Amino acid sequence: MRYVLFLYAAIAFVVLAAGSIILPDWAMFLFAMALAKGLVCLGIVAMMRGGVVSFGQGLYYCIGAYTATLAANMWGLSDIFLLTLLSSAVCLIVGVIFGPMLATYRGIFFAMLTLALSMVLYGTLSKMSVLGGSDGLNIAPPTFLGWAPEGRDLQTALYIYVVAIVVIAGTLMRIYFDSEQGLITLATRDNELRVEYLGASVRKVMAYNYIFAAVLGGLGGTIAVLALGHVDPEFAFWTTSGEFVFVAILAGYMSVPAVFVAAIILEVVRSFSNLYFPNTWQLSLGIFLLIVIVTLPNGLGSLLSRRKGGKT
Amino acid sequence: MSLKLENIQVTIQAAPILRGISLELGSGERMGLVGRNGAGKTTVMRTITGLADLAGGQIFWNGEDITQMSPRDRARLGFGYMPEDRRLVPDLTVEENMLLPAWVNDAIDGPQRLQFVYDLMPELTKMSKRKALLLSGGQQKMVALGRALIAGEKLLLLDEPFEGVAPALAKRISDVITSLKGDGLSVLIAQSELSHSSDLLQRESVIERGEIIKVNVIDPAFAQRVPV
Repeated sequence: MRYVLFLYAAIAFVVLAAGSIILPDWAMFLFAMALAKGLVCLGIVAMMRGGVVSFGQGLYYCIGAYTATLAANMWGLSDIFLLTLLSSAVCLIVGVIFGPMLATYRGIFFAMLTLALSMVLYGTLSKMSVLGGSDGLNIAPPTFLGWAPEGRDLQTALYIYVVAIVVIAGTLMRIYFDSEQGLITLATRDNELRVEYLGASVRKVMAYNYIFAAVLGGLGGTIAVLALGHVDPEFAFWTTSGEFVFVAILAGYMSVPAVFVAAIILEVVRSFSNLYFPNTWQLSLGIFLLIVIVTLPNGLGSLLSRRKGGKT
Repeated sequence: MSLKLENIQVTIQAAPILRGISLELGSGERMGLVGRNGAGKTTVMRTITGLADLAGGQIFWNGEDITQMSPRDRARLGFGYMPEDRRLVPDLTVEENMLLPAWVNDAIDGPQRLQFVYDLMPELTKMSKRKALLLSGGQQKMVALGRALIAGEKLLLLDEPFEGVAPALAKRISDVITSLKGDGLSVLIAQSELSHSSDLLQRESVIERGEIIKVNVIDPAFAQRVPV
């Protein structure tokens, strides 16, 4: 059945990449940011499948963004592939350090600890003038294997790059979710004790999910900073992490495409709410989330779930 | 392959649940653990799997002290546990539920054990691709038994396998357990009623208020076993 997945991935790439031709500049930027944030949310969904939710995924979003910015500013690196690899590697290392420790916590304790870590980073960055303090840092536009596009070309290249990363990451995560390890994660969500007496290590399962989420967070942060051209400590602030959780709840844990659909919906609803109801746009967002929770308790993914009596 | 419990004491929130339980299960032996609700049968099962915290006593498997061993590591010894409430993963299919122990334990040959279970319970083959949440209670018991059989190559712990099951299905489960005779697999079955089948069990330990009060020898060949 894997060839079907690859076929869906190819179709998703073509459909999303077509946006580079038909979308106006503002919409292409909005979609690129939504997809970048969707990557972070995909990490949260990976953890949600095991029954925990991170309220501090801004930590990796911020680490990824700062790593790319510092590498560009200090070492003159501008290649988007190198910057992405470097940021992901740094997030992987940080994830490997914190993952096994956090994997022993559940529920509100896990959520609060992850939130605390991101707020520690936020506080530290805000006070460090060498890293721009609360004003943050700027980053120059990236190059693509030596090619340095400008204007619409740059935006198009960046958008195609985001789409490619999203499709690859989404496909890999779908394969992971359907793998034995991924299904054990679902079993853990349902009942941890059962998984333990059947011989699996719940802590290991949780640690893996956290580390995958860390790498995805780093990817999202790198792409976001390259699209924006600027990073500041707000990337690690709790409201940023809350936004990721918002998208994850909106999407549910069943479907990978739903995560990116939810991220795009959130960006669109927010942008238009902000435009037409500048003082009450948060209220519009809240009402929108309430409607989704009431009508689709398992998120948008329950509409798109491809497992009917089969895989989840 | 023998299991030995020595003076096991378990306390839950200051209430003594097991008060010095001792029992021994020999290789290939099928023993019943009979008692009323609240007597401590499930706690004995949880003690053996490592899910209950001991206040005292020791557990030996083939002479090795496994008292401090984690539930995960005990599963790797070849222990299969079928809890009273079945505890299948609702979102996984019947086959995935049964294969779960093989995914996490390289020592288990998943396909071979699955075939063994299908040969033993052919009715599971038909429902192998159905999600567990779509099964009836009796069908879930069968799947839980299949999963315990895949994990439990050495020791099978069955908690109330016949409870809440239609008489015909209970008879079928009983036949499946009886057919395991001669495989060297030790079986401990917790149930509320005394067994009426002399084929199913060889000995029966009666538990009351956390203590073993009597051991009934059903199969005379096991009369010489060390009484508890």
